[in-house]
Amino acid sequence: MDYDYDIIIIGGGPAGASMARIAAQNGMSVMIYDKRKELGEPVRCGEGLGQREVLAQGVDLPRWCFSTEILGAKVIAPNGKSITWKSKDTKGWVLERKMFDKWLVELAVEKGAKVRTYSRVTDLVKKDGKIDGVMVSQWGKEPFEVRAPLVVSAEGMEAIVARKAGLKAMSTLYDVDTCYQYEMKPYNHENLIELYFGNRIAPRGYVWIFPKDAKKANVGIGIGAHLTNGKKGGNVDGAEPKRLLDEFIAGNKELRDASVLQDFGGVISVGAPIDSFVKDGFMCIGTAARQVDPIHGGGIALAMETGIMAAGVAAKAHSRKDYSERMLKEYENAWRSGPGKKMGKRLLLRKVMEEVNDDDLNHIFNTIKDADLQKVMEGNFAGPVAKVVAGRPQLLRILKALIS
Amino acid sequence: MIEINHDKCIQCVGCASVCPVLAIELVGLRMKTYPEKCISCKACIRACPADCIKLIEKK
Repeated sequence: MDYDYDIIIIGGGPAGASMARIAAQNGMSVMIYDKRKELGEPVRCGEGLGQREVLAQGVDLPRWCFSTEILGAKVIAPNGKSITWKSKDTKGWVLERKMFDKWLVELAVEKGAKVRTYSRVTDLVKKDGKIDGVMVSQWGKEPFEVRAPLVVSAEGMEAIVARKAGLKAMSTLYDVDTCYQYEMKPYNHENLIELYFGNRIAPRGYVWIFPKDAKKANVGIGIGAHLTNGKKGGNVDGAEPKRLLDEFIAGNKELRDASVLQDFGGVISVGAPIDSFVKDGFMCIGTAARQVDPIHGGGIALAMETGIMAAGVAAKAHSRKDYSERMLKEYENAWRSGPGKKMGKRLLLRKVMEEVNDDDLNHIFNTIKDADLQKVMEGNFAGPVAKVVAGRPQLLRILKALIS
Repeated sequence: MIEINHDKCIQCVGCASVCPVLAIELVGLRMKTYPEKCISCKACIRACPADCIKLIEKK
């Protein structure tokens, strides 16, 4: 058993770094390979992160990892009416993702984990049909073999190695939002996240304005990728994220004249987690496993939570010298009965909300209050649904899925 | 098969995450395509937020 490491983690994002930290703390030898030249780069994210989930993990952010603190959210209906919602659940940060990702990896390194950038895992190594290590190409050179009894995919959306391991780690167009974002300045904000809804503004998605310090903001859009027409580069008549975002900005008095400091984009999962997270000698965590909130597309908090959860099971597997699928399944079961349950409710909400038209949305925003938003986000739909349906009974047909 | 305009690409890997046949991957600083795997399904084109992928005839 001449293994190089106890665990090889593919990807140094929040999931991989969190798992590495806890696994190393438990005495395991851990290696993170990240194929990018620099951790956290390129940013493909709105950079929002809720405080409550993260503080519950015993992690507090140093000042240089975030741009600003968020006090709450302002949700804006198609007709412009808004609801402002501030509670203990709406406190958060808008991160500086590059700094944050690197910091999380550094925490793992301080516990004894190793990390190596510009190192792409090209394939899995199998012995007697079982995963037993990886092939790694560093700086584009010929791949070499590195062995470990446990390989972890924390690869994010791409999830290429996870798929090579036989997991169904990919998304359909319907289950992703395609997103474009600018970092802009100046924008006067009140440290609130602003979310603009409407099928004309952002079909099956929303426009967000995430405040940053010094009068900056991330202004982005996500729309259902299945609603784009695939005729790009020519006659575009479908929904295209960048075009819709530019239209939104052109219609906003303040943003219209603001400068753009950065262009970024990406594709976020708003679907269900993948069917199975583990194989013999293999685990899949975080966004690679599509453990992403289907309502807001946020993956960082879930990734960190999952990383910690997976590390606990990995440590148990290590002490028993048993890395079988049956053993590793303990992580999957814990996830599905914990964060997975919450995610299931969010997915149901997303699917119901995409049936609602703009007129109905206006009605909903007219009827509910910030306390109702709080209930909805906690998964208690009955009260708010009753209120909405009382004024517009025809909505029962759509909304009843939430209460049955 | 597809062609990526690398001048417009922002390396968001959205294309790779919806490609059903692992025909696109971020390698080094660029997206790399594997034309022999591509089935011309256009999923990548529709997912791409930077509008930088187009379908071309197989050579």
